[in-house]
Amino acid sequence: MNTILILLPLVLTILYSLATVPILVWMERRIAALIQDRLGPNRCHINGIRLGGIIQSVADMMKLVFKEEFWPSHIKNRFYYLVAPSIAFMSAFLTFMVIPYADNVTINDTIYTMQALPTELGVLWFLAFAGLGVYGIILGGWASHNKYAILGAMRATAQVIGYEVAMGLSLVSMLITYGTISLNEMVTYQAQSFFIIPAWGIVLQPIATIIFIVTAFAETNRAPFDAAEGESEIVAGYHTEYGAMKFGLFFVAEYIAMAASGALIVTIFLGGYQLPYLSTTDLINNFELVLWLIIAFAVVSSFVFLKWMRKHNIFAMTGLNETKVYTTIIIGFTIFAIMVMSYYALGIGHASEVGVMLLQFAIFTVKLFFLHFVFIWVRWTLPRFRYDQTQKLGWNILLPLSLVNIFITAIVVVGVNYGN
Amino acid sequence: MQNEILFVILALVTIVSSVVMISAHRPIDSALSFIITLISIAALFALVNATFLFVVQIIIYAGAILSLILFIIMFLNIKDDNLPDEKYKNRWLLATSIIITPFSAILIDLILRSDIAVNGVSDEKFGTIKDVGLTLFSEWVLPFELVSILLLVALIGSVTLSKRKD
Repeated sequence: MNTILILLPLVLTILYSLATVPILVWMERRIAALIQDRLGPNRCHINGIRLGGIIQSVADMMKLVFKEEFWPSHIKNRFYYLVAPSIAFMSAFLTFMVIPYADNVTINDTIYTMQALPTELGVLWFLAFAGLGVYGIILGGWASHNKYAILGAMRATAQVIGYEVAMGLSLVSMLITYGTISLNEMVTYQAQSFFIIPAWGIVLQPIATIIFIVTAFAETNRAPFDAAEGESEIVAGYHTEYGAMKFGLFFVAEYIAMAASGALIVTIFLGGYQLPYLSTTDLINNFELVLWLIIAFAVVSSFVFLKWMRKHNIFAMTGLNETKVYTTIIIGFTIFAIMVMSYYALGIGHASEVGVMLLQFAIFTVKLFFLHFVFIWVRWTLPRFRYDQTQKLGWNILLPLSLVNIFITAIVVVGVNYGN
Repeated sequence: MQNEILFVILALVTIVSSVVMISAHRPIDSALSFIITLISIAALFALVNATFLFVVQIIIYAGAILSLILFIIMFLNIKDDNLPDEKYKNRWLLATSIIITPFSAILIDLILRSDIAVNGVSDEKFGTIKDVGLTLFSEWVLPFELVSILLLVALIGSVTLSKRKD
């Protein structure tokens, strides 16, 4: 039990970062298709099972892995050329390490933190390694010995330097509000209610939220700030000369960076793993009631999903009958889950701590995927900013705005605490 | 024991990368080995529980300043023929290091007699965010503010110099 609880957040980090990449690629394509009024990839299958098109992104990953390792002959600094994608990948992956996936779990008087790294550094750790990620882009662009690549790398560097300032300053106002740098304490703070509204960061600090989300888009080089790889001007930017899995690492790093900033936005501004109005102790004390609600929700949602799926899943594929397989799996899984949950809900077994932990993982995952949806939604809605517009937005608008926000926050916090 | 092994490894990385930084021929090699030096110094901070210093070292030096330096190196686009011909570089390095030896002996002696070398880092909270903040804003508040004014002066000065029309 001890080892499992220590390893669990590490495994979850790998799941949330690496294992979600195929799902994110799939989401990106299907949502892009939805926005552009078409279907997107949905025909690729393994013996008739398509999983709504996820098999397509698995196939793409396989293609990248098994592609020929090609070295452009003009590359002089092979070491830098090779090490650049791994730097981008590693720093994106490391930023994930401090996100709390659930509240601290106390079992037999031992406290287990549900972060991959049990450190109090929180936000600062994220800033440190998000800043290091740009070296991957700089080195990749420089080692490629190519004008397009170096232009892309320079754009990315100037953009990251500019937006990191505004990002740090918007975080400072959040630190003043919460009075801590530990992410878990921030989430605990957000369990309070402010009159009748939950005291989430987005309610307390709307300006900081907007600034942080915009700068997070810029830091991860996502559209509308992806001038670093602007196809219409500089081919593919810093990864023009990269192929096969070397490109694949850049590609995966971008998605992991996006997932990490999404997780940080959820943690700081959207209440993390908390449900509004319900703190962890409330959930643990009323665990039976919570379980009955989950059982009701599971029954209703799987019924609705089955009806929707049987109506729309009408493509005839070779191999197994997909609709039948899914129906069996979903009904079987729902019955199994209900049996397990009612075992605890009837009070026969006792596992409220672990149960609440699993519930908080689920809440965090739902919020995280909502943020992924927002990232993709923005990418396929807004056109790319011109390069000078990006710089102007960063230095002339976001930076003064976040400074003003810090002053206002500091005055309010000091004013509120003055009487005490 | 674990800490000693880690310390030796990190110290070796720091020394080797700083020597490479001084002796490298191309500026980009120097800049990159300087990044490694800074990160391993940050790791040395982490080894004595100075978590805040660790993370600030990475954010400010390794993250912001060095990426500006690399940016400028890329901007200048230095070709290999533009670099100075350093034929006697190794001899110069050897000669200067021999000249410097007595001074470094004095320096090492001073470090060995200093408070931290004799007693070690006794305080568990040394270098955590709360400790650093309290020390800065209570004991050293005047120097801290003076330094920030100095930085502001440098900032305004560089902006005015670059905006000047001749």
